[in-house]
Amino acid sequence: MHGIAAALAIFFVTLVGFLILRASERHIAPSKSTAPARVPFTGGRAPDTHAWNRYHVRYYPMTLLFLAFDMEMVFMYPWAVVFVDEGLIALIEMFMFIVILLFGILYTWRERALEWA
Amino acid sequence: MGVKAALARLAAGAPARCFAVVGAEADEIAPWLRLDPELVIVDSPRAADVLLVLGQLDDEMVRAAAGVHDALPPPRGVVSWSPGGERPVSWPFTDDVRVDDPAQIPAACRRLRDELLSGRRASSPDILPDIDPAPWRGVGPFGQGGAGMTGGVPYGRPLAARADDRDGLKLDQILVRVGPYLPPFPSGLVLDVKIQGDVIQEVSIPTPAAVAPDLISAGAHSAGAHSLTGERALFNAAVTQPVPVADIEVARARHHLVWLAEALRVSGLEAYGRRVLKLARTVRPEAAEPVDDLSRWLRRNVSLRWGTSGVGMVSASRAAALPGGPVARAAGDGRDARSLDPAYERLGFTPVVLEDGDALARWRVRVDEAQQALALAQRAGESLTTPIGLVEGPCGPIGGERSTSAALVTMLPELLVGMEWGDAVTTVVSLDIDMAEAALPHDAAVASRAS
Repeated sequence: MHGIAAALAIFFVTLVGFLILRASERHIAPSKSTAPARVPFTGGRAPDTHAWNRYHVRYYPMTLLFLAFDMEMVFMYPWAVVFVDEGLIALIEMFMFIVILLFGILYTWRERALEWA
Repeated sequence: MGVKAALARLAAGAPARCFAVVGAEADEIAPWLRLDPELVIVDSPRAADVLLVLGQLDDEMVRAAAGVHDALPPPRGVVSWSPGGERPVSWPFTDDVRVDDPAQIPAACRRLRDELLSGRRASSPDILPDIDPAPWRGVGPFGQGGAGMTGGVPYGRPLAARADDRDGLKLDQILVRVGPYLPPFPSGLVLDVKIQGDVIQEVSIPTPAAVAPDLISAGAHSAGAHSLTGERALFNAAVTQPVPVADIEVARARHHLVWLAEALRVSGLEAYGRRVLKLARTVRPEAAEPVDDLSRWLRRNVSLRWGTSGVGMVSASRAAALPGGPVARAAGDGRDARSLDPAYERLGFTPVVLEDGDALARWRVRVDEAQQALALAQRAGESLTTPIGLVEGPCGPIGGERSTSAALVTMLPELLVGMEWGDAVTTVVSLDIDMAEAALPHDAAVASRAS
């Protein structure tokens, strides 16, 4: 019960602190942005279009890349458990496994999946 | 009140954060401001307290400067310096602090910032009207809906147009109006860049020259009288009259080192850039070891090679189309106006030429030329240049039909297309475009030199 009370106390103290900071910000630096100040700065000239734009994130190769390293971690947990018993053999096996995964990165690189365009 | 005063006192101990708007005649002052402990030159107006307006601006540049001014968060102020103290008729800054001597700029910035913080001076008012270019409102009752997101005009601006990407998909292509004051691009360079993701698909130059030629030529007449560091005046003088080889070579070494300091800063090596800038300030022919060390370090640095090697390739044919200069010499074109001068021939001068044509080669050519310039200055003694109507300036030959900087600006669109944004920045910085020289038409240049 004490634990919950302490947690709630910390929560409310933090919340009140945050709100005080948030409110005092206005008094310390009163400012409002104007329309010319809101545009992204690109050198002083006004833009024609809004900065929202859609670009190709290339999820498909990125997903493959993610899966490769996800699998690596899945394999590493049991490996870490038996590593001390197996010794050098386990280390070499893991090294080989990671080298194979590195080919995945090289493939992704060649496919230009790491470029945002 | 107590909190505010305490914060203001704390902030007063820091250097003034300034955003610099650099016009004609000020490009020889602006780099050295980075060494002053009173101020910090920042890369965005959002991070600045003070707008520094240096040199002469034409109407278009004044308009853009007003846009920059309004992007500074209040409290803000303006410090301006102009050679001869003249301001254009359309000068929009009503309460700027005017400085007559460039040496007073840092102190004026610091004083203005302190006054703004303590409330003794009011923030500079907005110049542009606070209205969105178009009402942000869709067709629905809450302003939603219509064509595209939020009625198609979020914050009063339409969404980007679409174009094919490399996979044949139609994706947004955004037009970015770069310049005239976007660091680290040279001040005055104006480009309309269409980018998709971060790849540049199209580049155009909206106006042939961003700085009005009449302002430049007027400034060039009076350059000597305002005792600038006088680099440009020295090179211009050498076109028609003999000047000491040692002076001109030290000026060249200094120019290349100032350029290198900026290039290092843009590459993320800000502290090293500052050291190079300090070296540039004190560089002397008899103390050339630091420049030799610099050259060695640059040759060994793997990350710089990674970032610049193969970037911004200038082919041999493009180099041949340039009037000359370090960019052409980095692409295997050995033209150097100094080869035509008997005084240099006696000193055993041979131009520095590299074959690669990429940004790395341009870095190396400049550092090697700085080294060579100091060696030449030491050997030259009292010898004078021979006025042959053509002088090898730090950016290219001066006195020819066309300036190298103008040719480089014309070359930019075809050079930058297809590059990622980071590579484009590296490329533009590596070209070392002198906008005052680019804007200078041939006849005006000759007229200003003749006077």
